[in-house]
Amino acid sequence: MSGWLRRHRGLVPYLFLLPGGLWLIAFFLVPVLTMASVSLQEGSLGTGYRMTFNFGIFPEVISGSSTQLIRSLLFGLIVTALTLLIGYPMAYTIAFRGGRYKSILLLLVILPFFTSFIIRTISWQFILADNGFLLGTLKSFGWLDQSFRLLATPVAVISGITYNFLPFVVLPLYVALEKIDHRLIEAATDLYASRLQAFLRVTLPLSLPGVFAASLLAFIPAVGDYINAELLGSRNETMIGNVIQRQFLVSNDYPQASALSLILMIGLLISVLLYTRLLRGQELTV
Amino acid sequence: MSEEERDRLERAIARAFRPQRRLSRRNFLRQAGKGGAYAAGALSLPAILAACGIGPATTSPAASTAASAGQSAAATPSPVGGGEPSGTLIFANWELYIDPGPNDDPQRSPTLAGFREETGIETTYSENILDNQSFFANIQPDLEAGNPPGYDIIVMTDWMIGNMIRLGYLERIDVARDVPNFGDHAADKYKNPSYDPDNLHSVPWQSGITGIAYNPALVDEEITSMAQLLDPAMIEKYSGQIGMFSEMRDSMTFALLYNGVDPTQATMADVEAAQQVLLAQAPHVRDYYGNEYTDPFSRSNLAITMAWSGDVFQLQFDNPDLRFVVPEEGAVLWVDNMCIPKGAEHPNDALAMMNYVYQPAVAAQMTEWINYICPVPEAQDIILQHADEAESAEDREYLEAVANSPLVFPTDDMLSRLHSYKVLDEDEERQWNDLFDEVVQG
Repeated sequence: MSGWLRRHRGLVPYLFLLPGGLWLIAFFLVPVLTMASVSLQEGSLGTGYRMTFNFGIFPEVISGSSTQLIRSLLFGLIVTALTLLIGYPMAYTIAFRGGRYKSILLLLVILPFFTSFIIRTISWQFILADNGFLLGTLKSFGWLDQSFRLLATPVAVISGITYNFLPFVVLPLYVALEKIDHRLIEAATDLYASRLQAFLRVTLPLSLPGVFAASLLAFIPAVGDYINAELLGSRNETMIGNVIQRQFLVSNDYPQASALSLILMIGLLISVLLYTRLLRGQELTV
Repeated sequence: MSEEERDRLERAIARAFRPQRRLSRRNFLRQAGKGGAYAAGALSLPAILAACGIGPATTSPAASTAASAGQSAAATPSPVGGGEPSGTLIFANWELYIDPGPNDDPQRSPTLAGFREETGIETTYSENILDNQSFFANIQPDLEAGNPPGYDIIVMTDWMIGNMIRLGYLERIDVARDVPNFGDHAADKYKNPSYDPDNLHSVPWQSGITGIAYNPALVDEEITSMAQLLDPAMIEKYSGQIGMFSEMRDSMTFALLYNGVDPTQATMADVEAAQQVLLAQAPHVRDYYGNEYTDPFSRSNLAITMAWSGDVFQLQFDNPDLRFVVPEEGAVLWVDNMCIPKGAEHPNDALAMMNYVYQPAVAAQMTEWINYICPVPEAQDIILQHADEAESAEDREYLEAVANSPLVFPTDDMLSRLHSYKVLDEDEERQWNDLFDEVVQG
């Protein structure tokens, strides 16, 4: 065996890639191709599906769910912006001011993962209830109108997604900020840059790869999320994930559901590519 | 996290992600102990409902298969039965819809054991029905091909019974000859229903009311009419605290009743007028719910909501102030029925089961656990008698609550105001769905 490997040294990297590759083929490529095939079929669960190369389904589902598609993209963008605004100062503080508490602070960031995502989101239902702990208290002081509510509004859904994806943003930002050489910042201040200038011209540009990774880690799952809209929203906050989930599990309309899933994937891919180009251009000018 | 909080969380999770049917109050008390109980009211319809297209305008697969099968429908000429039972019965029912035996095992249900003792018939009981549409889709190919469907009794909701009769998928039965207990003990309301005239194909298993529930802590008036749920001028002050059902049949039927239309006679013009009512109400509606409406309702997020009687009965254990009303204009009595799918192999055994559960003592035993509306009024006295004989105060209290609740044994006045769903053909179903989707999608 080892002799064989020595003779075919070039194959080693491929052998290392094999387990992951097989995994991706079985659990990514095959499902995606199946979905692509199902989306072009017609029929029903009872009578079975037949391939009819029904490409018309794509414009049909886009126009049928355009509201939810646009809403998902919008919510995704807002969530990405919010997680960056909240996450960057957090990551910055941990990386530059964390000192010996760094690892404890990082542990705190990932601590929510010790509880299931769904349980945490359902807890928000209790916290945000119309007459619950938060709003009930404010209402009893007369600071809020009796009919004021957060649940079943976009505010609740966006806050929920932001909360759920915040750790995914903080961690890559931390990694990017952590490895910045402090001497570069010192050099900037030695050359009479104010602290703000040093941040804008040294720290921020050097952390951009982290910002890039963080924003993708927030944006992609946020657009496809349906748990938060399901648990914290109403029909006016329905996202594309909810539509797909219902078509798969409730209406059993597999072709439509598959077509929508593909459109979501392709849409995300295109926006990510555009974003990559944009940011690359940015990096060159900084 | 306290025991109570954990229970609430668990139920909230279950309700959000599973077409769960219900947790019996009694079962729940047993699990949670006396104190930490919070009502558990998931129910069957929501699941059904869910199956009929909350989502964007899609035709459900069951409806489209029904359409293709429609042409071949033919009435079964003569009723099955009149012979000797074979000793075997295959029964498909919904989850948690029979009093379970040890370890909550429905297969070891005292009711099934009693049936075996009395008739010698061995029942294979399964909880395979998650909702009407998906179960129908499951057995439809066999029914269409004329193969034995693998079940001798199935339990389907009234409108699906109507569908299946139209498609010729149900065996005719002779209730007078083979199910005499039905004639002797069933309430009149359950005889000769609009979805199955003269009970030629089905007899009820359990039923429930779709009515209005409200929380007096948030509503300072008495709710008696549909206007207090549907009239935008009257509900403006509760804007955002109004709940409706995402099941098209329920919400549309409500709007029809509000307009004074008998839902079973509704024309397309009536349905369009009903849609206008729902559209006008929509800005004040918090959301259109499935079985999960009990969460926002019990947490005081909803002031007034459409509701199922069985849920409110269970919620009242924790908040006795909650009210359930059958409005002046009427409400819906939905009925889950036992029926024999065409080609079933043991029809005589199935008829024996139908007859058995209409014995008042058996009906009482099931109702004590299921908590839905019992089709046998005489069961009420038997449950009260059981309450007198109960060993613990807790059991006595519980059994008295079951027997005395108008949500389990409705008053005649309530029953007189209850209507059935209209049985829709495929075209109607699609048109009603389209109209309702416009409401829900805003």
